Amino acid sequence: MTYKKTKKRVARIPIALLLVFLLLLAGCWSNRDLSEINIVTGIGLDRTEDGKILLAVQVVEPAAIQSTSSGKGKGGVMQARPVFVESYKGETVLEAVRGMLSTVDKKMFLSTAQVLILGENLLKDGMEEVLDFFQRNYEVDYRMNILAAKGVPPGEILEIEPDIDSIPATYINGTVENTILRGTVKKTILIDLLKDIGSGGKQPAIGQISKAGEKEVRTEGIAVIKNGSLVGWLDSYETRGYLLAINEVRNAIVNVPIDKGKVAMEIIRSKGRVNVVFDNDEPIMLTVKTKIEANVGGYEGKGRLDSPDNLRTLEEALEEEIKKEIMMALKKTQQEYSSDIFGFGVEVHKYHPQYWKKVKKNWDDIFSTLPVELQVDAKIRRTGLVNNPIKKDE
Amino acid sequence: MIRRIRKRNAIKSQNTGHDHSYIDWCEPIPRTIEAVKIRLNEIFSDCSDFMQREIACGKKSLAKILVAYIDGFVEKRVLNQDVIRPVLNFLSNMEFQEGCCIYEWLKRCVIINSDIKEAGNMQQAVDGIVSGEVLLFIDGEDKALVIGVKAPQGRQVEEPDTEASIRGAREGFVENLLTNTTLLRKRIKNPNLKLERMQIGEQTKTDVCICYIKGIANEEIVREVRERLKKIKIDAALDTGIIEQYISDGRLSLFPTVGNSEKCDKLAAKLLEGRVAIFCDGTPYVLTVPYVFLESIQVTDDYYDHAYFATFMRLLRLAALLVSTLLPGMYVALVSFHHTVIPFKLMITLAASRQGIPFSPFIEALLMIIAFEFLREAGVRMPRPIGEALSIVGAIVLGEASVAAGIASNLMVIIVAITAICSFVVPPLIRATMLLRFILLAAANFLGFLGIAFVAVAVFIHLCRLRSFGIPYMAPFSPLTVADLKDSLVVVPIWAMVTRPRSLTPENVKRAARTKRQEAKTKL
Repeated sequence: MTYKKTKKRVARIPIALLLVFLLLLAGCWSNRDLSEINIVTGIGLDRTEDGKILLAVQVVEPAAIQSTSSGKGKGGVMQARPVFVESYKGETVLEAVRGMLSTVDKKMFLSTAQVLILGENLLKDGMEEVLDFFQRNYEVDYRMNILAAKGVPPGEILEIEPDIDSIPATYINGTVENTILRGTVKKTILIDLLKDIGSGGKQPAIGQISKAGEKEVRTEGIAVIKNGSLVGWLDSYETRGYLLAINEVRNAIVNVPIDKGKVAMEIIRSKGRVNVVFDNDEPIMLTVKTKIEANVGGYEGKGRLDSPDNLRTLEEALEEEIKKEIMMALKKTQQEYSSDIFGFGVEVHKYHPQYWKKVKKNWDDIFSTLPVELQVDAKIRRTGLVNNPIKKDE
Repeated sequence: MIRRIRKRNAIKSQNTGHDHSYIDWCEPIPRTIEAVKIRLNEIFSDCSDFMQREIACGKKSLAKILVAYIDGFVEKRVLNQDVIRPVLNFLSNMEFQEGCCIYEWLKRCVIINSDIKEAGNMQQAVDGIVSGEVLLFIDGEDKALVIGVKAPQGRQVEEPDTEASIRGAREGFVENLLTNTTLLRKRIKNPNLKLERMQIGEQTKTDVCICYIKGIANEEIVREVRERLKKIKIDAALDTGIIEQYISDGRLSLFPTVGNSEKCDKLAAKLLEGRVAIFCDGTPYVLTVPYVFLESIQVTDDYYDHAYFATFMRLLRLAALLVSTLLPGMYVALVSFHHTVIPFKLMITLAASRQGIPFSPFIEALLMIIAFEFLREAGVRMPRPIGEALSIVGAIVLGEASVAAGIASNLMVIIVAITAICSFVVPPLIRATMLLRFILLAAANFLGFLGIAFVAVAVFIHLCRLRSFGIPYMAPFSPLTVADLKDSLVVVPIWAMVTRPRSLTPENVKRAARTKRQEAKTKL
């Protein structure tokens, strides 16, 4: 080893040591063992009558879940509950979250929360304050599903014990996913909701959840929000119309009444687009264009389905049905709620920015007064393996 | 501290001069047999295996001859038939006159042995005796004949335990240097295969042999090896492991910069790539230099097997290497820092398995890994028949009971098991990964993934800086040698590997002719 190299190394050692000490300064600051945290799966928020925030948190007991999944049928042994729900009242959300620590033994770990259920009272009062907390908190998963509880406090929904899944939050999420396939609920994740609120031109809509029984929930329909507060609900048909218009239906089943009986059709592809027609820099009409492709899933009528004419009649019937649904949704939001959840305002904002500046404040009022034109174009792609119905013509 | 050790070493090496030597550097051989006898008895006092026999014979005047050797080294039957009998016959039949050069006669036409050398002084003579040759002292001469009638020593050539392979030769090296070089010569029948012999060890006089193929191996590397070997001043070279430590580059590195092998075909392949081998008498392990990182995931099967399969196995080995170093650290980082990146369902499982464990994940991992290392070390050291008992104890006590007792979590047992299995996939790096595992574990416990990243970067910098006999350790990746990527993580078919690894800077790069494959044109 040459002299020069040795000299260099002398300088290196203290520098390396300094760097190592630097690391030690930062060390361990968020070292938390998995067994030292409460894994939160669901959060419920509501407002009490005296204006306080009521926080309900669903926490899993991992060991209990393991034993229920692996040790089922052992019988006789008292099974520990896989989840427990803690509630706490506080002036603000943060206070409630921290205050809850006085009643539990481990830190609450919010990142795993899969659903956030907002109560009706809270929604009516406005949810901006609540959302602000979730936006600021670094621990929160932005993909958390947000649902509005209809007719039941969120804590009660979190406390149900479904037979199907040991963790209620996972069960709720699963039902939402399934309902999406039927096109009757809107999945709203936290980040989308925040975007909708921030964007302007579109009012948010939140998926709706209600209790369907002792151990079951139903996730169908949506809650219509206007300026951060709940103004009303859409039922499942209206919701489907709404979703078809804004191009969020992946899959749906539509029953179309025909002269004798009904045809069940499965929408396999759909494309929806909303627009605002302008004349002389003034909006004169709202348009909704929807293209639908469907398969015939069940046919109660008579007559063959293999002729283009017959199919055309079916297609027209389907178009009518879809039109009806979209119209229902539009009417309700325009006349009853006066809330532009369709996002017509976004189109105005995009293509007529000058005009948008003028009406930004009261767009929802203008939205409510505009006439609507619907264009629905339905195509039937497949009629299944049979051409002829089993029921024969007389 | 390192410098202090070096300094002390320097002082030591000055002290070890010739104070152990039993003989003057060029003490002549006494001319009379009596004097030789006395001197030899002096040198070999208390050596019960030292044998000498005096032959006195002749028609007119007595010619005295002394045969000296070490018992056990020498094939006595051959010695009697090829040396002593012809000498006796010759002496008793021949008219022996004063002044007649009996020495030359014996050397040229009497002794029936191909291996005859001369010893000009006592030092050479004694060296010959201790290395197993027969010495023939003749009255009136100041020279002696060194006759090689060594008996075959040591065990038979057998399959090496350390490097098993599915295909390929089963022959492994043995402890005898000559057998080993013969095995190699059998594979490379070429006078360009050079075997330079030297001795290392003041006390042991171990034969060491530098081996390379002239015209392929880089002369610079050969010279470097020669020089480094010459610089070694130790009293004993009992194994190539000792030589390895003296000649390797990164002396304080965790990673090996000198390779070793017990397999003849592997060694031949290494030589043919332009590497230099170092044999050492008394050990079946042959060193190869330069040694690069990539070699640790190369095995001979890769070249004997289909290229697809070989490529897959290469990647698998690399993956195993990474897993065996990183997995425990990753686990600790995950469960103590980065809960958010764990999928929800897995998190429940993890949390459930962690419940009720009294130790932090770091301590738990440390305990389990150390327990495994105990087992491994015990498995290596203990007598073979106890092996089964140990594996049962290890599996049951560590695996089952520790989980049942709530000392370790299920998952930790799985992780340690996977780590252990993976560490055996890449044998040359077992030691390096073992120590790195602990470092990464500690880093993960301090800083999570950040700590792992720090350590990983440091290790990579070190690897890229390391060289083995002038060749970058991370060759051919850093610096990039595109042509050599054919035999790196991807293995191309052997007929497409037409060049030797360029990163080893061989004298002759071309390995095979770039021939078009002869497809069968005739259809049956």
